Amino acid sequence: MKKIAILIAITSFFIFVPGEKAQAQCKQQRVYHCARKGGNAIYLRDFNTKLKAVRSERSINGTKWPVVLNRGTRYRFILCTPSGSGNDVKLTLFDSRHPETRPWNSTEKSGGDKFDFICKRSGVYYVSIRFKAGKGKRKTCAVGILSFVGKNQ
Amino acid sequence: MIKKLIFIFSVALFFAACGGGGDENTITGPDTQNDVRSVQINPEKINGLIESFPSPIEMAATIEDMKVPYSKKHLVPTEIAADFDSNFDKALGLGMLSADLGYLNVYNRKNAIVEYLTSIKRLADALDVDQFFEFQTLKRLATNSNNLDSLMFLSVTSYHDMDEHLRKTRRSDLSALMITGVWTEGQYLACKVNQFKSDKSTEEIIAGQKDIVKELLGVLEFFDDKPKFKKMNDQFRGLLKLYDTVEIKLIEGEDKISYDQDSIPVIEPGEHTEIIYTQEDLNKIQNKIIKIRNNLISL
Repeated sequence: MKKIAILIAITSFFIFVPGEKAQAQCKQQRVYHCARKGGNAIYLRDFNTKLKAVRSERSINGTKWPVVLNRGTRYRFILCTPSGSGNDVKLTLFDSRHPETRPWNSTEKSGGDKFDFICKRSGVYYVSIRFKAGKGKRKTCAVGILSFVGKNQ
Repeated sequence: MIKKLIFIFSVALFFAACGGGGDENTITGPDTQNDVRSVQINPEKINGLIESFPSPIEMAATIEDMKVPYSKKHLVPTEIAADFDSNFDKALGLGMLSADLGYLNVYNRKNAIVEYLTSIKRLADALDVDQFFEFQTLKRLATNSNNLDSLMFLSVTSYHDMDEHLRKTRRSDLSALMITGVWTEGQYLACKVNQFKSDKSTEEIIAGQKDIVKELLGVLEFFDDKPKFKKMNDQFRGLLKLYDTVEIKLIEGEDKISYDQDSIPVIEPGEHTEIIYTQEDLNKIQNKIIKIRNNLISL
């Protein structure tokens, strides 16, 4: 009897514990307002995620998305979160040669909620949105915006 | 007690199996001439590849930024789009028209926007993704000149939502066709711009697509066992072959950080690529892209 209960508990854990991508996200209104923070930059896509509260210091919470960027284009990355959790979350841009631990840039590294990136190599890059180290006591949603600033001639 | 536990577990297992589309390990590629075979592929890998592809507005924004004059004659004529009959053609057409809509949006051509919105709506209806295409709102925004930002935003999010829904409902083959349509139409427009007024920047957009074509084929080859995909993929394989003579050199350098007038940090990587090609290489690639695009719309 006890063995069956343990077996069910273990199986249920693997079935029901969700993967990296959480289901609930920021509302469309927030995405739109975030996109408008790009100024004259043209909205290209968003990265919308729900961040669950961090249970232990070791847990890595968040989502990453692949994104193709084109050489010679200046892109703008913007991070928006509901008020109160802005300082807890970071958006990071990286690729296979510059992994997430040594990224091209992040909102944490540049100390704001947006940064521009002039792409010098066409290819697949990655954007991640996660809690900063030691942060994330409360769940939140976060949205990242990728927009087009212009060609860097 | 054991029976109760097993019953609860079975019910829970049933609901877990029915819920959501995120954990599928098989993607079924329906349609494409009533081909009902299922394709055993890694859904996370293909969805990741598809998701990474550029927005339908990016190439248009690039062209507009280069101060190239507006020209509707290069867009897919909406009367041709009305003849797309199979889901294969419709999904490709949906991607191409979305790229054209992006072009019309950045050039703010209201009348043509409504015409293209109507065509896209028809294709979205046929592919059963119309619930993500807010036609009435888009049409209203298109006829109100003050709402260009909202129109562009909603056009792009509608495209992404339709694409995401196709992937979630195990129709990744149609999603792959949408991104193929967007990419092909964007490159076709770049080729036409380059034929009209050639410059280094436009040339490099076209010649620099070598790795992107590889990525695109990486997606399309998942569906190589379907006759229509096979025929189209052969054309893209031919295109990739033409890129063999294009060399993309990676050059190391020091990263630069500056701040623009709004104090936004601007990262300029030192590491950059140099694209080495001849005019002959470029002409061959351009002609092939134009041929592929024209073949696809005369399906």
